Amino acid sequence: MKVIHTSRRRFLKGSVALSVYATSSFATLSTTTKTSTKTTKTVSYLCNMCRNKCAGFARVEKDFITKLNPNQYFPKSRNMLCPKGNSAIQAVYDEDRLKYPLIRIGKRGDGRYKKVTWDEAYEYIKDKLVKIIDEQKDNRSTVAYCNGEGFNKDEYIKFFGSKFGSTNFLDEGSICLNTKLGATSLTIGDVGEMDVAGSNFLIISGANRYESLITPDSVDMIHSKQKLVVLDPRCTITATKADEYLPLLPGTDLAFCLSMIYVAIKDELYDKSYVKEYFKDFDKLKKHILSEKYTPSWAESKTNIPAKKIKQITKEFFSSSNPLYYLGRRSVWSKNDFQLRRAMVLINALAGSINKKGGIIFGKPFVLKNEEVNEPLYANAKERFDLDEIVYGSQKGGSWLNFRDKVINKTSPYPIKAMFIRKHNLMQNMPNISKTKKMLEMMDLVVVLDTMPSDTAMMADVILPECTFLEREDMVVSFNRLEPSLALRNQVIKPLYESKSMQDILAGLGKKLSKPMFEVSAKYDEDLQDSIKELGKKKAFIEGGYDLSELYKNDISTRNKKLIVSQFGKKVYDSLKTKGIWHPYIDKQKELFNNYYQYYPEDKKFYTVKRKYKVKCYLKKLEKHGFDSLPTWRDSYDFKVSKDEFRLITGRYITTTQTATANNIMLKEFEEENHIWINSHDAKRLGIQKGDRVVVMSSISSIVIKAKPTNKIAPNVVWFSHGFGINSPQMTTSFAKGASDNEIIEDKFEKIYGCATMHETNVSIRKL
Amino acid sequence: MARYGMAFDYKLCINCHACEVACKEENGIDLGAKNHRLWIKEEASVEGDFWNLKRKKAEFIQMQCQECEDAPCLKACPNGAIYKDENGIVRLHKERCDLSRTCMSACPYDARYVDQRDKVTDKCIFCADTRLSRGETTTACQITCPAKLRYFGDLDDPKSEISQVLKQREYFTLKPEAKTKPKLFYLK
Repeated sequence: MKVIHTSRRRFLKGSVALSVYATSSFATLSTTTKTSTKTTKTVSYLCNMCRNKCAGFARVEKDFITKLNPNQYFPKSRNMLCPKGNSAIQAVYDEDRLKYPLIRIGKRGDGRYKKVTWDEAYEYIKDKLVKIIDEQKDNRSTVAYCNGEGFNKDEYIKFFGSKFGSTNFLDEGSICLNTKLGATSLTIGDVGEMDVAGSNFLIISGANRYESLITPDSVDMIHSKQKLVVLDPRCTITATKADEYLPLLPGTDLAFCLSMIYVAIKDELYDKSYVKEYFKDFDKLKKHILSEKYTPSWAESKTNIPAKKIKQITKEFFSSSNPLYYLGRRSVWSKNDFQLRRAMVLINALAGSINKKGGIIFGKPFVLKNEEVNEPLYANAKERFDLDEIVYGSQKGGSWLNFRDKVINKTSPYPIKAMFIRKHNLMQNMPNISKTKKMLEMMDLVVVLDTMPSDTAMMADVILPECTFLEREDMVVSFNRLEPSLALRNQVIKPLYESKSMQDILAGLGKKLSKPMFEVSAKYDEDLQDSIKELGKKKAFIEGGYDLSELYKNDISTRNKKLIVSQFGKKVYDSLKTKGIWHPYIDKQKELFNNYYQYYPEDKKFYTVKRKYKVKCYLKKLEKHGFDSLPTWRDSYDFKVSKDEFRLITGRYITTTQTATANNIMLKEFEEENHIWINSHDAKRLGIQKGDRVVVMSSISSIVIKAKPTNKIAPNVVWFSHGFGINSPQMTTSFAKGASDNEIIEDKFEKIYGCATMHETNVSIRKL
Repeated sequence: MARYGMAFDYKLCINCHACEVACKEENGIDLGAKNHRLWIKEEASVEGDFWNLKRKKAEFIQMQCQECEDAPCLKACPNGAIYKDENGIVRLHKERCDLSRTCMSACPYDARYVDQRDKVTDKCIFCADTRLSRGETTTACQITCPAKLRYFGDLDDPKSEISQVLKQREYFTLKPEAKTKPKLFYLK
């Protein structure tokens, strides 16, 4: 295999992958491609440039990935790749990539590391961990571990949770959409799936589906003939494409929803037979909404959307055969976010748009068997603490801001001494970066597994270079409910440099840690001591499941084959290895037009399934904890900024996925740095012109960013994209370009799911 | 032998840039925002004050070489470097290009740019020397498009999808006054 140690990107500067060949041997390649598979091969893979996991085929020429093309077999991604998907090649061949295991030799954050062998890295981690766990008397939970969105998260949890025994796992949910997931499952008993394609009347509140693509939703919106209504304090491309655009004040979507419910109930527009059959406590909801008088005029006073318009949209929504109020898929904005998502679910339910075409469907996903794990029981591992004071919260991924506060304020019941961080850029991904820095500085050990020298990697004691998604196979995944399919990420090329897959990294680490960690447990764990007395050390170790690398005895390929063949048969396995996808109609799928396919026949889609469920209007647990058990507006939700202040809202460009794509040389062409949107009149008043550098100051910090005055944003509101203002000088393409929103967003969180509220910060602005 | 053309269901475009990246990756175009074989032009803008925006539905126009039947660039080249290949695609004998840029000024569509690596003028050639030469039947921009708004094919083949679409739907071409007879069509 050809590994480019020197700067491949410098080599490629001014050109892209294929041109390497175009100048040398392209002529040969173009003629051999058709006849020979020796130099050129096509490998199916699943993209990882964002959370969508679209399917593609990689063209590989002499071990180089030269082009990524869409995969026509995947119902979810509809035979397309977005700009980020197309530029994934640049993520693989980014010269800034983490190439070797590194151990810190400087101060945290100053970027000085020495190159070490994998064994040296494992040895270093082992020595530190043994000391920490010994000091903490085998409380495994003193090691927190986190992982952003992605396929390998569950595997990672199996290692550090099930095997190593820590209860403190954190993921992106509490800085993302846990309120939406929670509100949906608490109200209708399932998170469901939104059938955008089947809806003929779609309301989107804030979600920017044409600049933040979600498959298949965004694609389906382009192709369906539905009426589209968009509410946003910013006139996005989604808004400009809408049939009706309703500009509103930030954080007031709940008032609009409450008013829709009011009109639906008052004018009896709701689906009465559905409500009768499925609703629980509808009377309570009715009484509450009517007595609170959430009239359209009231909502106008909160949102700035004309009452007449609210009435009209409500009437159209409830008279449509397949209306959908889109529940969003993005961060939590406001402290009322849980109530907002609940209200959205209730609107859909009042229209009978549950378990029905064009609504929130339950569908019938493929359920993959779980591989069994022999979990050791650690008597001294303590419970997680980040959900204390949180009403529901995610037991899986917890609450980042609550966790961080408790660690740095030392109010946690036991100290957190070490962190393992994977695919999670903590130093950029949550509000108030200085607090994250403080938290990491308190650790005795920080280990980062990543592909890039991110701001977080620069805080690590040990950096373990992971390979990119195109260099590994991952465990098979089940996708979607309406048109369910299985998808497999096949390995396109072997890992470059000395990088490894997560499984290989954990296998090595597990091997190194198992015995010494077992000895620590044997010292403190009375149950284990009994077991050793009874079985002997060797047997107690094996039967107790203390071999941490046990999961990885077989490689991913072997595990996949075993799992898929045993559950679905050889044909499905072969389809996944070649096409990357399997669904029951894969051999019969029909091209509707211009490479756009129908996957499931219309009568085979799982629009409606047999299921017993209730729509819960009233959540008693909330009342018990002093929160509103029915969606309610509180005065504190009103949009308020003082005369010289602006409400800061955030989002992203279509070419960025948070900070994960920040260093991509191809995507940088579209947005080299971010600009702050400010209403033209406000800008004029402050003497700010296009491109001026401005200081944006919140209660916690300030940033400098270039201005973009525009009429497309509400007065007293400013917006700029997340994913810029990278502080790591090792990220040479993106370092110090633009500004980071989380530098100035105040770290507030709502108490129902413990989610960071991203749109509750007021800022001042002045020209530099 | 074919007569290749492209039709755009242009109103479906959301300006996602997938086509631009796919083109660059496939054809090895110089990095840099100004180097491109294709780009997207925003047509409608939003006017007025925020609370009363006069909003036309956003329209993005796919811009690239219009593959003129009567190509001004071809006529303008003093070195005879520009020719039409057997599929009617306007191509370049790279070795004959001396970067006089007369083709660039002659093009009414601003479709050409300077390829700094090869020191020639470059433009969209429907992936002729990459995908088509490998026997593929789609262009990079076409296949990756989420909206599937780019129809590509043989205008001389009445059964081709592009011929069918052009038969069924109304369309316009850019700058008809230039009398270049483009083979790129915008579906109404």
